[in-house]
Amino acid sequence: MKHWIGICILILTILAISFVVAANINVLVPSTNVRTLAEIYLKYTYYPWDKYFTAMSPEACTSIVWDFRGLDTVFETMVFYLAIIGAIALARGVPLKLPREIKGELGLSLIVKTVTKIVPVLIIAVAGSIALHGHLTPGGGFQGGATAAVAPVLILVVFSQFYLLKRGVNKNSMLLLRSIGLTGIGITAFAAVLIGLATGHYAFVLQNQPKPLAPDISLPAFVGGQLISGSLWFFNFFEFLAVAAGFTIVFLLITLPEKLAEAKEEKHVAEGGEK
Amino acid sequence: MSYGEAFLLGITALAAIFSTIATYMAIMERDLLKAVIFSAIQSTIYAFIYYMLMAPDIDLVYIPVAVGLYPAVIIALIKKTTREEKP
Repeated sequence: MKHWIGICILILTILAISFVVAANINVLVPSTNVRTLAEIYLKYTYYPWDKYFTAMSPEACTSIVWDFRGLDTVFETMVFYLAIIGAIALARGVPLKLPREIKGELGLSLIVKTVTKIVPVLIIAVAGSIALHGHLTPGGGFQGGATAAVAPVLILVVFSQFYLLKRGVNKNSMLLLRSIGLTGIGITAFAAVLIGLATGHYAFVLQNQPKPLAPDISLPAFVGGQLISGSLWFFNFFEFLAVAAGFTIVFLLITLPEKLAEAKEEKHVAEGGEK
Repeated sequence: MSYGEAFLLGITALAAIFSTIATYMAIMERDLLKAVIFSAIQSTIYAFIYYMLMAPDIDLVYIPVAVGLYPAVIIALIKKTTREEKP
């Protein structure tokens, strides 16, 4: 009963705000016309006729995220990296190892397990498609990585953590994958500069297509007739690896059975260590 | 604005009202597991609203994070602590 009063007040408030907005439609509702800045982005996202300003990708969001404002995204990736490092530091000393003997059947029922044998494959396939087509259709590295991370979470819940650990999906292997992703992002960011240094031309960090001050250096927009939009495909691919591995590490640590961690701590205290 | 467009925007507005109710229930619910489910319902409706407002990029990251990963984190947390919120 108490909830209904609150919900009614809430709905009345929403309707009142809607009425106020609708009554002042010329003042409060923004114009439906595209603004000048958006027009520039939409024009130059794929515009081979002006090679100095285009990102050579028909996907406006990815070209903004990894080309027009690439440095911001590098810092975002760094923030996410530090968050994962924080999670790993909190769980320091906690073992992610298989117990010597596993008693009984782990995980949920046979029906759930049979369905889950099929679904993660589909999730990974969709995630790969979102990430690798990120420069052509909506999507990108972070979206693909977050989608891919759902698959290990599903397996963790349905099959138990030991199922993943037994197959080599542990903290170290995921950390390695994450480091490969981040190193890849770093190398892609510096690719134009490295090419410039090798060939003796001027180039920028995070450069994709030629720029007015660096007209000689550019990353190839097409490889074998396929549009890869220069650095964007590589950024998406490496970000996909880094994000998927990062989320998987966090979930491996979060779903750690506490009995194992407590047993380790008791052993540590018994051996004369500090609690 | 055509009738079809107005109809779709009307559905979006209705979905927005339902999402607000789900948020209210998530805040008021004492059983934390139910609160997570209400929150996931709100996230699902938001994913639909993002789609209707033609933001597929944000939708693709919102669906796995807000409908999949975030409830999973909170449920793992509830399993390790208590299910009831104490007043």
